[in-house]
Amino acid sequence: MNVVRAFCLAIVLFVLATGARAAGVSLPAHERLELANGAVLLLSEKHDVPMIGLEAIVRGGAVSDPEGLGGMAGLLAELLQHGAGKRNSKAFAEASAAVGGELSVSAGLEAIYVSADFMARDAELMIELVADLLQRPTLAADEFTKLRDRSINLIKAAKGSNPGELLPAYGNAFLFGKHPYGNPVAGSETSLANITQEKLQQYYEEQVGSDRLILSVVGNFNAVAMKALLTKAFGGWRPAAIPLPSLTAAAKQTGRRVLLIDKPGVTQTYFWIGNIGVSADYPKRADLDLANTVFGGRFTSMLNTEMRVKAGLTYGAGSILQQHSQPGAVVISSFTATDTTVDAIDMALKILKRLRDSGIDEDATESARNYIMGQFPPRLETAPQLATQFAMLEQYGLDVAYINDYGAALSAATADSIAAAIDEVYPSPEDVSLILIGDADLIRDDVSQYGPVTEMSIDEPRFR
Amino acid sequence: MEVPGNKITIMSLFSELRRRNVLKVALLYLVAALLILWIIDRAVSGDVLPIWASQFMLLLVAIGFPVALIFAWVYEITPQGLKKGVDVDQTQSIVYKTGQKLNAAVAVLAVLGVAALIGERLLPEFELIRPEPVEEIPLRPVYDSSEAAGVPKEISSYTMANGLRIIVWPDHDIPNVVMYNFVRAGGRNEYPGITGLSHFFEHMMFNGTTSRKPGEFDRAMEAVGGANNAYTTNDLTVYQGWFPRSALKTILELEADRLQNLAIDPDVVERERGVVYSERRLRVDNDNWGRLYEQVRATAFVAHPYQFPVIGWPSDIESWTQQDLESYFKTYYAPNNSTMVFSGAVSPEEIFLLAEQYFAPIPRQLPPPPVRTIEPEQAGERRLVIEKEAQTPLLHLAFHAGRAADPETQQMQLLLNILTDGNSSRLHRLLVEEEQIALSVAGVQIQGFDPGLVYIYLTLPPGADIDAVEARVLEELRRVAVEGVTRAELGKARNIVLADFWREIATINGKASALGDFDVFTGSYENLFSLPEDVKAITSQQIQAVAAKVFQQNNMTVGVLRSPTHTPGAGK
Repeated sequence: MNVVRAFCLAIVLFVLATGARAAGVSLPAHERLELANGAVLLLSEKHDVPMIGLEAIVRGGAVSDPEGLGGMAGLLAELLQHGAGKRNSKAFAEASAAVGGELSVSAGLEAIYVSADFMARDAELMIELVADLLQRPTLAADEFTKLRDRSINLIKAAKGSNPGELLPAYGNAFLFGKHPYGNPVAGSETSLANITQEKLQQYYEEQVGSDRLILSVVGNFNAVAMKALLTKAFGGWRPAAIPLPSLTAAAKQTGRRVLLIDKPGVTQTYFWIGNIGVSADYPKRADLDLANTVFGGRFTSMLNTEMRVKAGLTYGAGSILQQHSQPGAVVISSFTATDTTVDAIDMALKILKRLRDSGIDEDATESARNYIMGQFPPRLETAPQLATQFAMLEQYGLDVAYINDYGAALSAATADSIAAAIDEVYPSPEDVSLILIGDADLIRDDVSQYGPVTEMSIDEPRFR
Repeated sequence: MEVPGNKITIMSLFSELRRRNVLKVALLYLVAALLILWIIDRAVSGDVLPIWASQFMLLLVAIGFPVALIFAWVYEITPQGLKKGVDVDQTQSIVYKTGQKLNAAVAVLAVLGVAALIGERLLPEFELIRPEPVEEIPLRPVYDSSEAAGVPKEISSYTMANGLRIIVWPDHDIPNVVMYNFVRAGGRNEYPGITGLSHFFEHMMFNGTTSRKPGEFDRAMEAVGGANNAYTTNDLTVYQGWFPRSALKTILELEADRLQNLAIDPDVVERERGVVYSERRLRVDNDNWGRLYEQVRATAFVAHPYQFPVIGWPSDIESWTQQDLESYFKTYYAPNNSTMVFSGAVSPEEIFLLAEQYFAPIPRQLPPPPVRTIEPEQAGERRLVIEKEAQTPLLHLAFHAGRAADPETQQMQLLLNILTDGNSSRLHRLLVEEEQIALSVAGVQIQGFDPGLVYIYLTLPPGADIDAVEARVLEELRRVAVEGVTRAELGKARNIVLADFWREIATINGKASALGDFDVFTGSYENLFSLPEDVKAITSQQIQAVAAKVFQQNNMTVGVLRSPTHTPGAGK
């Protein structure tokens, strides 16, 4: 009987493999397992190099930062790496480095992310470290104070060094306003200063726990042994004390308004033009990706071709679609010399209008289709990339079909379906927030034509 | 409610199925179907049959399955031929013998199937029904030990008659290819008046040929699914292409076209100066780190062209001439001055053939003039200060060190891992975590054809005592020269190098990049694979010696960027 089963299975696998080849890109098989405490484990073996990639997602993130304490999740993410289990800060850092492992914790808007990449022979140690930092962090008072102060100073350093990096923080804060997506993940100088060690401890207990955990592991291991190891390491964890906060969609902005951040002496203007777009599970994702690739998602995009290649106004221009569980921002971003600020902004708005009025033509669509499919396989090439992909699908409640059927969805996109996505997602140039970092004395009068201007200094210890 | 007879009925049905060989027929059917489907699939991939053929066959096989089972149930083979089972005298039945024959048939087919599968994997030439080059070879390098890497046998290299060197590392994990073209043209080949020209060519190479208008290169590449980029250093200009295998010929045609027929249109040159200026504003003028770095380099080197910023001095960006561009292109973009690396879903043979087709017509040129200037030994420390509005001061320290190919460079690299790599590194622990006199510290070794720099840079908190931090860093650097490093630190650094090695070659991009770097700077890509062993052999004494040689005050350039109103002790 076993032989028969094996052959039936072989036939099924064979048919599946044929199907996958026809579609172009597909994820390798993975196993999903939910522990009694709500933690979700995702496993997939991959044996090309003797390495393992691990991605742990703890849902929550900056959207769950308490009122006035922006940067809480970000600070916690830092602190988790500074002492856990039986190891103090130094011993913890040394444990992973000693075996050449990489281990980092960062916060995003909707989760805290733990990423590890290590040699397969060190799996037990590295999983112990991940389990310790999530379940048994020391959260020591001296480490807390040091990291909080350093975080404040690193924001100051960023304001001096490359101001363009801060555009998304200013932009989201201005565009989303009081909605949690307006929370700067790293916090502001002011909000960080309000966080205390006690409040952080309370936040950890309320917002971090097994029911929030997605743990994805891909690489050179035996799945049965790995499952046992992970179940032992995470099966005993307690759930978070309070349920995951639920979010609603932010309202789209109507009309235009300007936030001007003054940085005297800067010789170029950095700008970010946006409105509320769509969520990660947007059903017309393939149509939208085609549109955005043509509009601002690659070198020959409409934005980069007009602004860089033809006009020489900038080194680069592009558009971004933020992907969260609720609608994120859709953004045009670029920079230009101070005296060409208006030329560049006008051009960006004109191209946006052209996208909405005329859509994208057949040749551009076909080219974008080839481009997306051609660039897709290297994004799913390594164990850490696959681990992240599986975790991300789980986080947004998406099926593997989201990836596996993506090629077919791209092929199925028509001029009409793409036009519908453009109409739904991209704002009219009359309905946008414009966020500019520049020398205000030199551009203040010129940019007031775009709408009411709110002005602040880059030295102010806040983003909104 | 339980039905007691049910189980027995199912059991007897089952034994009857077995007796009548229905199960064995089913097994035989499935094995045969698998083989047929497999053969059809091969034929479809080889374009011998249309795509619908495999789906049609699958449908046929699915319909035939119940028919075959019913047939097996109803009929029985007897010495007299085929008879209905109910008509056969059960004492004379030879179903057992038929069963044995069926077993044998299954075994033969299974062996055939396995042999065919193995054959397909072991012999890529096994192409009776598939004349096209093999698209997927499931064999990929298997590394049995993470300690001993060895040079993978599948890598091949080849030098064409015109001097173009080509290296290929096949890897069929994903259906994509990476191409790197390492051109030996960088800041070190420039002189006052044309600084930044190497980097400018990195832009011009995308701006049209005699037959393609500006922008067409990128449009053609993206339309077939490819993406590209390039970077320039003080030593090299490196062009990168990432594309699906199906785009291979287009990419090679585009690459050959721009190497052979680059148009240097004066209007395009003028517009591109604007783009490069924007890049300079982004990376240098409005970036405190970039601004200080440019000045420290220019101060650390007084004679050697490593003193020039890769992006070029502003006056040179504005004024290089058509003649400068044309002669630079002819000299440096010659096949004998380039190394191309391919990695991914290709075979060396096909790349070498295609290279002959596309690149052989590009003529060899006289070798570029050698860089003669040797930086004289530094005779005393140098300092500079940039005053600029900044809440957080920057401190950079540069020391002259070896060439990429020097054994000392690898030793220094290991030491830099120990000093500045990650949260457990010495300088990070001391300055950032314990004494909290710096917000961040990092170290990099600038390695090239000629002796480069060890570069250590820190971001300091507002109101920092910059001199005190500098003294503290120097104290720690000298400590290595006196005391060496610990066994644990050495072990850690080796493991970091080893793990980074595996991380890098886990991707086709990393493979191409690493092969090219090693080949260009050390003379052979094979040196990449001795890296784990080489690093294992480095001793604490060697590290101590290289620290003593490099970390001398007379060999140091210190750069500080701070606000004009910076006051130590304020702002804390």
